[in-house]
Amino acid sequence: MNKDSLKALTNAHAWVGLVISTILFIIFFAGSISLFRDDINAWELNPHYAVNEQSETLFLDSVISTVSKAYNINTHGYFILSMPSAEQPLANLYFEEKTSADKHVDQHLILAPDGEIIGHGNGSSWGDFLYELHYDLHIPEVGLYFVGIVSLFFFVALLSGVVIHWRKIISKFFQYRKDGKKDKLLDAHNLIGVMGLPFHIMYAFSGLVFNLLIIYQISYAVVLYGGDQSKLLTAAGVVDVHLEETKIVLPVQGIDNLYLTAKTSLGEVAINRISIDHFGDESASVKFIGADKSQFSTRKEATYHIASGRVLYLTKDNFDNDLRGGLAVISSLHFGDFAGYLIRVLFFILGIGTCYIILTGNLMWIQKKANLRVEKQNPMGLKVVYAMTTGGFIGTIFASAVGFIFARVIPIDSIGRSDLIAYIFFGCLFTAIIVSLNINAQKQFAAIFLKITALVLAITPILDWLIVSQGIMAMLKLGYYHVIVVEVMLLSLALFCWLIASRILVNKRTESD
Amino acid sequence: MWSRTFAGLIIGLLLSVSLVLNLNLLLPIKEDTMLLIGLLLAFPIWAGIQVWGYSFTSSKKAWLTLSLVLIPSVLINAVLLLLR
Repeated sequence: MNKDSLKALTNAHAWVGLVISTILFIIFFAGSISLFRDDINAWELNPHYAVNEQSETLFLDSVISTVSKAYNINTHGYFILSMPSAEQPLANLYFEEKTSADKHVDQHLILAPDGEIIGHGNGSSWGDFLYELHYDLHIPEVGLYFVGIVSLFFFVALLSGVVIHWRKIISKFFQYRKDGKKDKLLDAHNLIGVMGLPFHIMYAFSGLVFNLLIIYQISYAVVLYGGDQSKLLTAAGVVDVHLEETKIVLPVQGIDNLYLTAKTSLGEVAINRISIDHFGDESASVKFIGADKSQFSTRKEATYHIASGRVLYLTKDNFDNDLRGGLAVISSLHFGDFAGYLIRVLFFILGIGTCYIILTGNLMWIQKKANLRVEKQNPMGLKVVYAMTTGGFIGTIFASAVGFIFARVIPIDSIGRSDLIAYIFFGCLFTAIIVSLNINAQKQFAAIFLKITALVLAITPILDWLIVSQGIMAMLKLGYYHVIVVEVMLLSLALFCWLIASRILVNKRTESD
Repeated sequence: MWSRTFAGLIIGLLLSVSLVLNLNLLLPIKEDTMLLIGLLLAFPIWAGIQVWGYSFTSSKKAWLTLSLVLIPSVLINAVLLLLR
């Protein structure tokens, strides 16, 4: 590649990185935390509904009978039961309750191992909030595609970075010049970028698949299948087992027997999800979904017509379709759900490392522009980038830390709880950006803000033990460590923030001297 | 920069669809495997074309060169679809 092309590409790499930086930081930070989404959900909920027994079996017919008596379940809505497991003692039931002829509300019930309804989970979804922030930023309708486009530009930044750095990728692999201010940032950017390259590429690619697959789906359907979407979906392994509604009312019974049949038919499987279609109608069907933990990324599924017990669909190997199998592998790689906690811890470190790459990229740009002659500077542009870096980046961590505190402090059964926490999160983030825009001493502000964030992060573990210590102890006795996992994560982030803040203050003092 | 961005974004997308479609129409592989191969290739091609677009010193050059690659690929698409 000639010199001019390399220069053009280097400028483009910096420009693309800068444009997407704040959004990408939010995506990666929320995504890194979301690797422990189940732990966060359990951290929030389980101590309030601590159980003293452990059981992986649930009497399904008894649960369904109890729920059917207490609620008017919408036949045309969803009915999903998330089963208790070795990692999660409580079962979660999600369904639509019909409140009038054309109105229904979402319900989320918490079930004890014996099937007893012990609470409502409608307001407890802090882990889900962070996960949704990761994949669509809570922007309705277009958020998913917007994040997809940002992922595409992240992929472009990665590939252009590799091309720019290619000639030095081996010879300067471990280079870290700690004494040069600009060199240090550049070396950190390159070092973490190259070390984690396979991980970054996997995330950019899998993020694109999840968020922008629709583009290729439409183009394939139009060109290859003459506009017939159903033909494409059939080729893609999507199996339609939907039965026509008969309008004959029939109570849902016999699920326990079908559960045993499914376990026998599917072989080695941990059924973690049961869903019922057309609840209460004669045409109702039940689907048992699970994963074979003895194999990498193998999904199993069985669907039965409840009234007759007839098998409607059964697969022991990712729907017996290469595309579905491939997507399952991409999904496992993205969520790091194939090798226990260790792989998720590794992915978490790499994810936070990516946040550091984004930060160093912005700092290099700021340094370059700040060193220009005054007449060449764009003070407004510099101020905005500074504010987005300080306020946007640290603000995201701070808002998450505050969210954790409120997820612990607000009573679990208070109405509108999750909405309130969401407003608090966005309120903190936008306030941080606005405050940052109005501050001139950015370095000092960043250091103080990071120290405050570190303290706020460290408050949650203290509150845990002050507010729900009994529940935590009951869970620990049964061998459930979700609270500890979340606390370790928060304290690690607190330590990280504190160390960076201290480093900024030391550098500032050295500069002043 | 914006013009080169759109050149890569638009032509990159069209080219990725077109090249993958050509593979799909040429290779005698079963349908679901072909869809998977297409999926695995399409996004890297799209991003790769964008990187290529950024390496041009002017946006005019970027639009022109990328279009010159797209046109033959689309023509092959048309021929293969007609022969199908």
